Amino acid sequence: MLCIVRVVTDPVVHIEQLVKTFGATRALDGLDLTVAVGEVHGFLGPNGAGKSTTIRALLGLLRTDSGALSAFGMDPWADSVAIHRRLAYVPGDVNLWPNLSGGETIDMLLRMRGIEPAGTRRAELLERFDLDPTKRGRAYSKGNRQKVALVAALAADVDLLVLDEPTSGLDPLMEQVFADTLAERVAAGTTVLLSSHILSEVERLADRVTIIRAGRAVESGTLADLRHLRRSRVVAEVVGEVPGLARLHGVSDVHVDGRTVSCSVEPDAMTDVLGALTAAGVRSLTSAPPTLEELFLEAYRPAAVPR
Amino acid sequence: MTAFAGTWALTRAALRRDRVLASVWVLLLVAVVYASAAATESIYPTAADRVEAAEAINSSPAIVALYGPILDVRSAGELSMTKLTVLYAVFAALLFLVLVRRHTRSEEESGRAELLGGTAVGRDAQLAAAVLESVLVSLVLGALCVLACVGGGLPLAGSVGFALSWVGVSWVAIGLTAVACQLSASARTCAALAGAGIGVLYVLRAVGDTGPEWVSWLSPFGWSTRLRAWSDPRWWVLLLDLVLGAALLGTAVLLRARRDLGAGLFAARPGPATGSPRLADAFVLTWRVHRTMLWSWSAGVGVMGLVMGAIAPGVGDLLDSEAGRQVIESLGGVGKLEDALVAAVLSIAGVVVTCFAIAVVGHGAGDERDGRTEQVLATATSRSRSFLATAVVALGGGTWLLLVTGVGAAVGLGDHLGGFVGAALDQSFAVWAVAGLALLLYAAGTRYAVLAWSVLAAFFALGQLGELLDLPAAVTGLSPYTHLPAMPVEAFAPGTAVALTAVAAALVAAAWWRFLGRDIG
Repeated sequence: MLCIVRVVTDPVVHIEQLVKTFGATRALDGLDLTVAVGEVHGFLGPNGAGKSTTIRALLGLLRTDSGALSAFGMDPWADSVAIHRRLAYVPGDVNLWPNLSGGETIDMLLRMRGIEPAGTRRAELLERFDLDPTKRGRAYSKGNRQKVALVAALAADVDLLVLDEPTSGLDPLMEQVFADTLAERVAAGTTVLLSSHILSEVERLADRVTIIRAGRAVESGTLADLRHLRRSRVVAEVVGEVPGLARLHGVSDVHVDGRTVSCSVEPDAMTDVLGALTAAGVRSLTSAPPTLEELFLEAYRPAAVPR
Repeated sequence: MTAFAGTWALTRAALRRDRVLASVWVLLLVAVVYASAAATESIYPTAADRVEAAEAINSSPAIVALYGPILDVRSAGELSMTKLTVLYAVFAALLFLVLVRRHTRSEEESGRAELLGGTAVGRDAQLAAAVLESVLVSLVLGALCVLACVGGGLPLAGSVGFALSWVGVSWVAIGLTAVACQLSASARTCAALAGAGIGVLYVLRAVGDTGPEWVSWLSPFGWSTRLRAWSDPRWWVLLLDLVLGAALLGTAVLLRARRDLGAGLFAARPGPATGSPRLADAFVLTWRVHRTMLWSWSAGVGVMGLVMGAIAPGVGDLLDSEAGRQVIESLGGVGKLEDALVAAVLSIAGVVVTCFAIAVVGHGAGDERDGRTEQVLATATSRSRSFLATAVVALGGGTWLLLVTGVGAAVGLGDHLGGFVGAALDQSFAVWAVAGLALLLYAAGTRYAVLAWSVLAAFFALGQLGELLDLPAAVTGLSPYTHLPAMPVEAFAPGTAVALTAVAAALVAAAWWRFLGRDIG
């Protein structure tokens, strides 16, 4: 008889009702975030939403005001060194030591984590990221500084990767290399917390997503759970009478202006919408994924009634 | 001239950014000018006293090497400004080194220059604005110096001449820094090059003033003395400053045109592809970041010690002269004259070496602001280690530099190794206390770290002005430097050493405790 044993493991990262204030500003205002073992957790939000603040609190770099916070079941403020032995971090804005070469910086950061660079994937990653390790820190472009931090973080096996907007400054080719490398790490069992303000990047890489706005998690779940957030915005100009799209299931926010109609369409409803539009005769048609700002507006009023 | 588009707007922005730094620096210099001018009357009441003092100064090669000669021994103005004509002109020059570098190379290194370069700002506008701002500040400094001299009871014509000699030196410093800032992509290297340039000009003058006079004519500091501001001035000498400054600026513009934004004139050499196995710790990292600076400083203070030791025997001739003794005492030294000279110079060395310690702490603050500290702390490096690495390099480096100064002086004299080294190391107690204060400011927040420079300037000014202005001991006593005995003349004071060490230890401990408890970044 087959017996399925579900091993209940504690989450790698657990944050509950976290509050962090800087003077009068509440950077984190009751944030909840849970990252389970082995998952890639997308941490999505606009600039200034509190993504970096959360990550820096998780690393024990910031003292928090209230709420619970743990990594590997330990308190980041008290046990930061023990936690850091098990993770690697890529900051959002990488600044290097002007006089150290990229290779020296990578080796130093690895050794500071207690890892001997010789036994790592360092050489392979330098090759794949097309990074010259002999340049001095001050001579690297933003993208190359990012690569130095990425190579240092991805070269050795760790339990948790904390990546704060890791692809900023990378060209599309390098974004792909990064995605491939990350997938390999995930396959090997690494848990990833990936912050980003680019929805498509998170969609491509993440299993679960938490959306943060103004220091608070407004949505959290698997991508399928968040399907309603993936509505496209369709704008069409028709030849004949504007069809009554609002009646269709999965269509919302319908606006009609003369012969132009705009509406939000869930993926499943797209065929019906296109059918109705084609029947009316299409003069022009655009379909765009929602902007991040629209997503957050949406996330803030999940109960909004479609018109 | 599209290359200069936006210069005026940038100049105003620069003046605004520097309003505190430049004002404090200028006012401190002007305060010393006023105090020196006003004090002369009470120190040397009669013309005969002044002639005796001036002749005493001229008869001591050591003092002439330090301050330059007094060309007209009857001039009250020239005697009042002995320390200021040449030595304090260096402090004025350093202000312009800081200002010019701050708005050119530092901006390029941080990437802000690129941000500005993308706006409607001409290619040469940032350099032009830095120069224009500095020239304006130098003119304000000059005008205030005239007021200070006249207010202190000196004649107007001489005061103008003296003030213009500072303005002239300032212009050379502006040009020199402008050139230095084209050479390397590192703002630190540029500062070191400009600082070394000023040092060489100062030493050239010292050599010329005590040896073949034509050598002094190679240095703007020599010109300042030879302007003869106070009697029978040679105004054309000021043209030399103007021409040299303009030539240096022209060179800077030419060099600027031959390089890219953010790059140096010398292509950066590639570094090693792999890191040394020892570079695995916050201490080694901090050492690695500062070692070039420490070696350059070691060379600088070593030479300073050597020169001081070598000229010290020349002071012996002054032993019988009451005026000579008075001059040495006004330098801060008492007792046996060659030792007194060493004591006087060491008291300056203590302040200078503190600059190294404060620079290390300031660098730590910069690392934190730029997120480098964060990257180190995200590894298995504890906060204590990261903080102590900065503290150890700052305090240990300062102590090492004092040791080098003492050894240099003993080698220069060929004797007194133990005495000079002990006297030099005695300065460490004050250096530690001020470095501890700098660490505490840094621990209070990265933005406060820069205040350490103001504190040091205030302590230095207290030491210099305290006696001239007859300030109460409670005020001058705020400066740790004033508590140190004038070794090697006076005996080692164990009580002072223990007290200052305790103060330093308490400051470092408080800083450490604060750093452990605050947000990073």
